[in-house]
Amino acid sequence: MSYVTEPRRPSMVDRRPSMAERRPSMANGRKPSVIPQLAGIEKPISPQTPETCDVLICGTGLVESILAAALAWQGSNVLHVDSNPYYGDTCATLTIDQLKDWVHSVNQHTPGFQGFSKALLYIPRPQDLVSRDYGIDLTPRVVFARSDLMSLLTKSRVHMYLEFQSLSNFHTFENDSFGKLQTSKEDIFTDQSLSLATKRHLMKFLKFIFEYDSLDNLALVESYKDKSIQDFLQDRFKLDGPQINELVYSLGLSASPDISIPEGLSRIRRYLVSFNVLGQFPVLFSKYGGPGEVSQGFCRSAAVAGSTYKLNCALQSFDPKTKLAKFSDGTSAHVTEKVVCSPSQAPPHASYVPEMKYEITRLITVVKKSCREWMAENETAAIVVFPTASLSTNNKYPVQVLIMGAGTGTCPVNQCVWYLSTIQKGEVARKDLEAALLKLEDSILRESEDGFDVSLDPEDIIVKPDGATVINSVKLGKSFKDFVPKEKLQYLFKLCFTQHTAVPPFGVVSSSLFDTSAEKPTTDGSGVIPDSTVIYSNMPSTEISYDGVVTEAKLLYEKIVGSDDDFFDVDFENEDEDNDTLTDVAAGDEDAIIDDDEEEHSKAFKDEMDFDL
Amino acid sequence: MSASQGRTTTAVKLVLLGEAAVGKSSLVLRFVNNDFEENKEPTIGAAFLTQKCTIGERTIKFEIWDTAGQERFASLAPMYYRNAQAALVVYDITKPASFIKARHWVKELREQATKGIVIALCGNKYDLTVNDEAEEDSGEVSETSKRKVSVNEGQTLAEEEGLMFFETSAKTAYNVNEVFLAIGKKIPEASQNGGANPSRGESQANGRIDLSAPVSSEDSNACAC
Repeated sequence: MSYVTEPRRPSMVDRRPSMAERRPSMANGRKPSVIPQLAGIEKPISPQTPETCDVLICGTGLVESILAAALAWQGSNVLHVDSNPYYGDTCATLTIDQLKDWVHSVNQHTPGFQGFSKALLYIPRPQDLVSRDYGIDLTPRVVFARSDLMSLLTKSRVHMYLEFQSLSNFHTFENDSFGKLQTSKEDIFTDQSLSLATKRHLMKFLKFIFEYDSLDNLALVESYKDKSIQDFLQDRFKLDGPQINELVYSLGLSASPDISIPEGLSRIRRYLVSFNVLGQFPVLFSKYGGPGEVSQGFCRSAAVAGSTYKLNCALQSFDPKTKLAKFSDGTSAHVTEKVVCSPSQAPPHASYVPEMKYEITRLITVVKKSCREWMAENETAAIVVFPTASLSTNNKYPVQVLIMGAGTGTCPVNQCVWYLSTIQKGEVARKDLEAALLKLEDSILRESEDGFDVSLDPEDIIVKPDGATVINSVKLGKSFKDFVPKEKLQYLFKLCFTQHTAVPPFGVVSSSLFDTSAEKPTTDGSGVIPDSTVIYSNMPSTEISYDGVVTEAKLLYEKIVGSDDDFFDVDFENEDEDNDTLTDVAAGDEDAIIDDDEEEHSKAFKDEMDFDL
Repeated sequence: MSASQGRTTTAVKLVLLGEAAVGKSSLVLRFVNNDFEENKEPTIGAAFLTQKCTIGERTIKFEIWDTAGQERFASLAPMYYRNAQAALVVYDITKPASFIKARHWVKELREQATKGIVIALCGNKYDLTVNDEAEEDSGEVSETSKRKVSVNEGQTLAEEEGLMFFETSAKTAYNVNEVFLAIGKKIPEASQNGGANPSRGESQANGRIDLSAPVSSEDSNACAC
């Protein structure tokens, strides 16, 4: 990384005291390591619009909300505004009515909606939709059980505001059929569609993944430096197309075939080390909506730490000389340190919004089917991936689909929300998504239709270790080709739009994106440029998991505070709830979880893998 | 698994609403700090405040959400109202404007919150009027009284909207526990399903994953319960 950390400015080192330090009981100079239980509620609330703040943040998207909470707990006086009447900004969870307004604003190129384009909305029977029954994510995401966001959620206690549900069914579309991903030893053993040789190769690869860090293996990867991950898997592990697709696109959730071997392997590993951390599933999602819900949680945390919140309030300009930020509601605030702004909420006539050269095309639809057939028992969501070249359009990039059923709290019973996305651009992207949609429709009609007969032999029924029976999907796939559905699938809602971002696929945001060191003109012929010293955050990346979000928040934090050493460096007092042993686990060593446990976990996994086929 | 074995513990999410400075936080702190029941120490997390109380055979664990100032610019998140089973709408009996605001909050609750939410209306700062002897006799608001909202007005609003009604004083603790006990009694026994935070033992029954209790690697069947 070419970026050199600025030396901490002295003023930043001797910052104002943190929430904890401001407590009278802390006045004796003891270093506060613990956030007192009464934090937040003690703060007298001034009824006036804040005339001064340390940091102004515009946009309540997830990254900005995490940043606000981190700064607030560190002791900064944060004013957090959003031009919308709702939280979440570019990753909001919206009702149908809010979406209608959103589409309108996007197509009118309304300030505050930069970063989106070409929104198409189709609601065949508006009277059938009760707006508030739906929570549609602009940027749906799942969180890996072992990930930086998961650690942060527990550490910050924001998880207490949220409900998380598990997701374990990852389907890969192959040969006109959905194959369910086989990732456990039992699954691989019982899958009759796999030959013994393939099983052995898969096992060998999974073992390799956990010993990836050994010198031999690193050297091995290095020797394939100029090859693709697909070649590597084929060459080295004798895996076939379907298995490679499953590993790269389903386990790895890669949005592109162009991925380096180390990156591809780390994405597969990410899935495997997340398995069995909180249960037998790799990922989770928050109920009632994804990032839109999680940002509300962080905003509340920031508010508890003293941040001021103002919706319906858009930044109009920030004058670097007077340090005065002006807002659409006629108010203004004096900002002593920095202004951070989401590109979507850039002030009118902004000159320095970062160039956004990457696209994500999304197709979101609500169907009148529960789609339970795709979900694991007791779960309400699933992931379906269409690998490259698996569709009639010969798609260059995979299509990723998140399936969210009624149990997710985002749609009524017997309905389901499908989120399709691709990093393909323009009209081609929309054709790819439509092709994938047709396949999904065929598949769910076939799988859910009563009396649909496939002639099955006894060996086609597989009894899984937990007693559940699974029908051999290869056989179903063959019949699928001849299947003519008796009914049509009802689409209640369909929305397609393009989202722009400066973050490349797989890219973790680089700090150069936030580079404000270069002198920018602060005025031009017509007057003061409204954003010459504004730090812009990013539009959400294409990544379907939350990975990268915490990194970006940390980079911004570092930009403001000078270092990310004390990013969420808070330790909440233990609740010590009625000796409930379960809760005692909560405030333990979350910091240590990632590093220490990973090793242990890998070892356990390896032990489990030590058997002969 | 806990001390209250044999008793059902119902977790109840309770939200506070009301104009700034009517004493929302004081009411809660009075309730929570009063060393209520057998609970030795009040538990107030930075996330929300919790307080248990026992009503008959049931233990109610209140999870009390303060607005954290987000109501100031009408910026409460939908998350705030979600699955709230009870609400405390507070006004200051010496400030008519706060009573008008209380009507607004009741309306907001009807729109945003779960159907069947138990709402208690609290006219706070009763202590400021206890010296007005005249009012106790007549029920009328005398001109010299600090009281600006009569008991009748509060009661009428409560009747119209089907709310419980109390006049309280966080300062003297007058009626404070009573409000929470009354709310607790009104919470239906089987309401914890889909409610705020089901207590942790039963959490996985409805698909909710407890993030604070990672399964160990050996215990591979933990999620199958």
